[in-house]
Amino acid sequence: MKKIMLQGIENRNGINLDPRTKLLLIFTITTVVIGGGNNGYMTIVKPVLCFIPFILLIATHNFKGGLFYLGVYTCAYMAEIFIVPNTMGLFKFLILAISGMLSRFMPGIMMGYFLISTTTVSEFVAAMERMHLPMAFIIPMSVIFRFFPTIGEEYFAINDAMKMRGIRLGGGKPSAIMEYRLVPLITSTVKIGEELSAAALTRGLGKPIRRTNICKIGFSGMDFIFIFLCLIGWIIFIASKIGY
Amino acid sequence: MKNKLEAKDLINVGIYTAIYFVLCMGVAMLGYIPVFIPMLTALCPLIGGIPFMLMLTKTKKPGMVFLMAILCGVLMGIMGMGIWAIPSSIIFGLLAERILKAGHYKSLKYDILAHGVFSMWLIGNFIPMFINRQQYYNALIPGYGEEYANALMSYIPTWSLFFLLVSCFVFGILGGFIGKKLLKKHFVKAGIA
Repeated sequence: MKKIMLQGIENRNGINLDPRTKLLLIFTITTVVIGGGNNGYMTIVKPVLCFIPFILLIATHNFKGGLFYLGVYTCAYMAEIFIVPNTMGLFKFLILAISGMLSRFMPGIMMGYFLISTTTVSEFVAAMERMHLPMAFIIPMSVIFRFFPTIGEEYFAINDAMKMRGIRLGGGKPSAIMEYRLVPLITSTVKIGEELSAAALTRGLGKPIRRTNICKIGFSGMDFIFIFLCLIGWIIFIASKIGY
Repeated sequence: MKNKLEAKDLINVGIYTAIYFVLCMGVAMLGYIPVFIPMLTALCPLIGGIPFMLMLTKTKKPGMVFLMAILCGVLMGIMGMGIWAIPSSIIFGLLAERILKAGHYKSLKYDILAHGVFSMWLIGNFIPMFINRQQYYNALIPGYGEEYANALMSYIPTWSLFFLLVSCFVFGILGGFIGKKLLKKHFVKAGIA
């Protein structure tokens, strides 16, 4: 599954959203779910928004990811509602920390995963060009989105390598965590980045002419449905903030 | 035309911002335990110093650090931490850029100082706790319960905004030193600094 990230067009099935819609969805879900209260209409808006990543993952035939998310989110949400008010002390804090973290951050993370796993870099660049953002912003931004999964992969690879040598975390010395984990991670990601930059320059990135793009970017009926959902979410979110 | 940012510079900004951001996020996950929230202003700058100092070895042109700050602010906004990180990252990004310029993008002392100033952009994430304190508190209660809300508020009293800012700066400078040390010890050897 990791290999398809930001690369494949051929694995495209199910619905196809515009990258701008996906960005709006991430922004809406994170802001409303993390920042919103738990009263009034928000009790309906939040679960509905949290349900969107599940629908999208299923619709793009990523059943494993979708069901995993649904399971984890439901457990965390239920724990927050039913277990937390009935427990006390340290145990309550622990449950609260875990379930609160999962139910607040999982939707945003899964939405980000959906964006990264279903959008190619070219589509991403094309969408941002349509938004008339300057090149100085588009290039680093697309590199960042391309790099999030890479950093994760490298982290696990280093983890495996260290395990093979029998080193856990810092090999007994907390201060060595930096040298055992961070230094290899940064070294390998920077090396990958240098190769990426050479590849991008070969394809004419940053030349003064306008680059063409074969990606079809545009809003369709599906996009408008999700944009409409986001708008409703925002209206209720703002209304609850100013006290209706 | 030598001072204009080229595609290679922009890609470098992207790479180092991604590393910086992921490291900071990793540390910031600790923030779910209330005691750690004020401590993030120390931990994030300490860790962030490593990618930042490494990036400065490639930064010889104006604008790269400013761009990095804006990207961090925008990413924070996308991740739902509110919009305050954007103005704060613009302000401190510009200040850091001024300091680097004063050192002609070469001076080690100015580099470390710039990281101290740059780290202060983190304060943007704390502003909502101060500006609408009562509202923030009220919003916490239904989700987290009164105990948690009280604990969080007692760890971050009203007068602490200034100290959080100072902590960002001081630990940013320390992080700069750590970054520089690791740079000498490892990255120069690995041929990437």
